Amino acid sequence: MSEVGWLFVAFAAVWLGLGAYLLSLSTRQRRLEQRLRELEKNE
Amino acid sequence: MRSPSVTSLPGDASVRRLAILTWVMIAVSLYLIFFHAREADPTMGGQLQRIFYFHVPSAWASYLAFGVVFLASIAFLRTGSRRWDLIAASSAEVGVVFCTLVLITGPIWAKPVWGTYWQWDARLTSSLIMWLTYVGYLLLRGLAEDGSRIARPAAVVGIVGFVNVPIVHFSVRWWRTLHPSGPTVADLENSSGLGSPELVAFFTALIGFTLLFALLLTLRVRLGNLADRVDRLELAR
Repeated sequence: MSEVGWLFVAFAAVWLGLGAYLLSLSTRQRRLEQRLRELEKNE
Repeated sequence: MRSPSVTSLPGDASVRRLAILTWVMIAVSLYLIFFHAREADPTMGGQLQRIFYFHVPSAWASYLAFGVVFLASIAFLRTGSRRWDLIAASSAEVGVVFCTLVLITGPIWAKPVWGTYWQWDARLTSSLIMWLTYVGYLLLRGLAEDGSRIARPAAVVGIVGFVNVPIVHFSVRWWRTLHPSGPTVADLENSSGLGSPELVAFFTALIGFTLLFALLLTLRVRLGNLADRVDRLELAR
């Protein structure tokens, strides 16, 4: 693979990794907000 | 309409400002990395050397994260406050993300330059041990059914685990390794082999990743606070 190819792989790994983590934070937050709404409705 | 008690978390506006600042800084650093910094000498990897601009800031962000784990763990053992425990756990998670990026980008850089993805040298091995330590810390916390009972042992691991961070950093000076030793602060331009455009790109990326760490930590702590609210309500039922 060329130098630019390796650079692209590393660059993609960083931003896909950070994107995946942000997505996991957002998914967990949505789930918790939904659960909180259910609990507050039943209070 | 969404319930304000759920969506209006304290400090929403500050988090939004921090997020905007972070992404602007990251965008500026990407421009500088690819259009301002010059291509390195072929012996340094040519175009490939640009990995340096996110490999090193990721390592810095992981040191910072594990430093926060260390300080928050001490504060938790002194005060017993859940706030410090949550900051330590959140920072460990964010630190593992950055450390994983270091362990991915390092071998990608090493393969074309060294001819191998991995060498069991001091820097690489101690970095892997650091990553395993904090993955173990998170597993320890995740395995416990009652989070409050595991908080104290986890704080001890968070304090002891930090011992490895200076070892990782200074390993390139203490032992002979394949990994470059990096610049010294006293003579940055000569010891780093970087010119002014490259140093500007590097420090912008460093500030961008520092802000990104602060943003991710803030978001993770808020998530932890939300989880605590859900736990309290579930217990009260």
